[in-house]
Amino acid sequence: MNAPERRNLLMTFEVTPTSHLLADFRARGGYAAVEKALRTMTPKEITEEVTASGIQGRGGANFSAGRKWGVINLSDGQPHYLCANADEGEPGTFKDRWILENAPHLLLESMLIAAYALQVRHAFIYIRGEFDLPYRRIAGALDEAYAAGYYGKPLFGTDFTCDLIVYRGAGSYVCGEASGLLSSLEGKRGYPRNRPPRLTVRGLYQRPTVVNNVETLSNIAGIIMDGTEAFKSFGTRKSPGTRLVSISGHINKPGVYEVEPGRPFREFIFDTCGGVPHGRKVKAIIPGGISTKVVTGEEVDRVRLDNEDLATVGSGMGSGGMVVIAEGTCMVRLLQVLLRFYHHESCGQCTPCREGMGWMHRIIDRIVAGEGRPEDIEQLKKISAWNDGNTICGMGDAAGYAALGILAKFGDEFEHYITHKRSRHDGNLECRAST
Amino acid sequence: MPRIYIDGRPIDADAGQTVMQAAVAAGIEIPAFCWHPNLSVSGSCRVCAVQVEGRSWVEISCNMPVAEDLKVLTDTDLVRAYRKSILELTTLNHPVDCGICDKSGECTLQDYHYEHNGKPSNSRDVKVHATKFHHLSERITLDNERCILCSRCVRFTHEISKTKSLGIVNRGDHSLVRASEDGAFEHDAYSDNVVDICPVGALLSRAFLYKSRVWYLEPTPSVCPGCSRGCTVDLWHRKAEWKLRALDPAKNVAIERVTPRDNPAVNGPWTCNKARDLPAFFERPRAVQAMLAGKPVATLEAIEAARSLVACARNPVALVSNWGSNEELAAFAQALAARFTVRVKTDWAPQPGEVVEDAILIRADKNPNTAGACSRFPAMDDPAAKLPDGCDLVLAWGEGFDLTRVPRGARLVVLDAWRDPGHENADVFIPTSIQTERDGSYTNFQGVTSGFKACFAKPEAAVHAEELFAALGVRESVPA
Repeated sequence: MNAPERRNLLMTFEVTPTSHLLADFRARGGYAAVEKALRTMTPKEITEEVTASGIQGRGGANFSAGRKWGVINLSDGQPHYLCANADEGEPGTFKDRWILENAPHLLLESMLIAAYALQVRHAFIYIRGEFDLPYRRIAGALDEAYAAGYYGKPLFGTDFTCDLIVYRGAGSYVCGEASGLLSSLEGKRGYPRNRPPRLTVRGLYQRPTVVNNVETLSNIAGIIMDGTEAFKSFGTRKSPGTRLVSISGHINKPGVYEVEPGRPFREFIFDTCGGVPHGRKVKAIIPGGISTKVVTGEEVDRVRLDNEDLATVGSGMGSGGMVVIAEGTCMVRLLQVLLRFYHHESCGQCTPCREGMGWMHRIIDRIVAGEGRPEDIEQLKKISAWNDGNTICGMGDAAGYAALGILAKFGDEFEHYITHKRSRHDGNLECRAST
Repeated sequence: MPRIYIDGRPIDADAGQTVMQAAVAAGIEIPAFCWHPNLSVSGSCRVCAVQVEGRSWVEISCNMPVAEDLKVLTDTDLVRAYRKSILELTTLNHPVDCGICDKSGECTLQDYHYEHNGKPSNSRDVKVHATKFHHLSERITLDNERCILCSRCVRFTHEISKTKSLGIVNRGDHSLVRASEDGAFEHDAYSDNVVDICPVGALLSRAFLYKSRVWYLEPTPSVCPGCSRGCTVDLWHRKAEWKLRALDPAKNVAIERVTPRDNPAVNGPWTCNKARDLPAFFERPRAVQAMLAGKPVATLEAIEAARSLVACARNPVALVSNWGSNEELAAFAQALAARFTVRVKTDWAPQPGEVVEDAILIRADKNPNTAGACSRFPAMDDPAAKLPDGCDLVLAWGEGFDLTRVPRGARLVVLDAWRDPGHENADVFIPTSIQTERDGSYTNFQGVTSGFKACFAKPEAAVHAEELFAALGVRESVPA
């Protein structure tokens, strides 16, 4: 591996059987940032620092974390809540899992800083129900942190105390949406809520609440410790810092990588991740979870790995869940898989997503069965467009993107399938040596 | 008071209102399935989408706060196209079985489809099938295929009836409205309201199921006599032009169903299940024969006998019914009250199994006009006490009078609308009309007076108490 220099913010240590434990974390300088924050900074200064760092949310929407925090009025006399969104359910995305498994104390420390900045007495981690090891690791780390006095006790001579509750979800995709997550956390059905009001105005238990992605929060400790300039020296001007990217699919070295935005996409795929098995070409890549639009192999060659460049080809970094699709894969079957997922996971609250996803799934099933009609492609596009911007939550919007992206760039494969009643690529979803 | 503009029309909205509320207050109709004025915002049906001037997208008006100078357009090309798409999606898995649906004719989905879409479905795929005739309770049945998941019923049980007895199970287009396992919906005293607020024919009253097409029926405004709340209701009965000649003519004079009539001062848009059961109450066996000491006589003869008893009584006691309308009570006060010792009689006490009182609508006083009666005759009758000594005539008006209370030697005149074997023991019995056979008004416990109208003719032998009292008040016999 020809990595010239480690340019990492999160993956700064070697993963060993003990690297997730408090002792190892302290040896790496852990819990120094929270001490610095509490001893030398006011809550307002921390929020300003985070805003100045320009860090964007890592959950997929890329909203400025500092601006989200800035909405919280510290002197409104209400309780505020902080919740880490560890309900990582976007297909293809498993980067938060790395943090929860290998650096749980980094999240816990960062959440302490965030809780102090937002004057939060009770913070929450909403963790996906299917996460077993991550849950055991974060719960174990929390026990250690309580025992060491970081949680539940006044810290560093201040009167600031924070309690943290780890809550396991039951595995719904929509509970990864911030407001659906809070509904679920309150013990209700995980239906997303209407905006306005924003969650920072009325969130958990109708109180101002900040919900941040695990990776976003985990960066806070570094920002406070090393300052905004150090953070901004990574990445691009608009996408500062690093991104954890989980890569899977037809790739030689799948896994979680920390990348600096601004790297050439192709270099990341072929140099870092070892390219596509059997020397195949890249047909397409879903760059940031299946709700971002697909990027073709040709586009991969010319764009850089950041939001601004990916936007020029109609996509984005999303949640960092990359799925590589090799030459010879049937895009019709692929879309069928994606639409089955959306149909299965649509919460059913609002009409466009509830009815639209089922309808699209039935259409694509019919196409795959060789009973497609020429007008089906238009109908799929129409239903996707009805969802866009017209649903209660962002996931409803995004549910249409997958189909819109694939249909726009691989529409000819669908026409071929409908006309010839069979796949151009034999319905292949795997990347085998021959064929 | 922010001033907003809806399609160019200036409206002074209240701060904190939504665009939908401001529009409704100004009489502008924006279509909606899930929004209901008395329930929280759900935002799920999406059909109330409007466009803000200068924006290239649509937003739902039910969750859009009013703001100064907000310019809302409800009829642009974009809005029309979007509404059409939403209706296409709403009907996608809806069976469109209007021909056999009880809601047909008053169905919001039907109306909106004709108004905003009007096209056959673009889908030729199989619809999602779900449970039909799922009995949520003894009273309510649910057709899950017709359900469009607006969640009005769910919010009703959470926010209004507070039983939290309905919820949604499963996800996506397999979502189903279901009652909680503890059977709370069975005991929800307001459960029938979910039938009214259901925008489609998913929730249906089992009592009304397949009884009549709604366009054969017309409503008559009335007041529920079930308790002292006096909910304003509509009694639905067959229109004159649709009278049945063959089949069962009893259907022509039957109350087919009862729905609440929106009245913010009393009951809002709700009423309890007791009001829904009024047809059974009103269809109890009637007293249709005047009697003298158990012997059938003509009504006029009985009236004359009663008149002469009243005329020669020295110490008569009158027990006036708190089911009498204000008009009847006024007639009694004018014609007879001066000669009687008057007590207000309580016709009905809470029955076993009935909700006695709650914090929503139901009152412990199970009579409609106690307030109206007591405002004229302050003394209440105590059913456990004896009638005053020395009384020589008892005039008992209304149901529920215990004949053993009549002092030995006193004569008894009974006025009642319902059949009761005890009537044979009265010296004079005169059948009277019931609420559905006359106009009148009740005053509820808050002092709000609501009127009701007649929907059917009274039985020939029965008399209106209002006219009867005037006749009884005449001192001398009028030669025929």
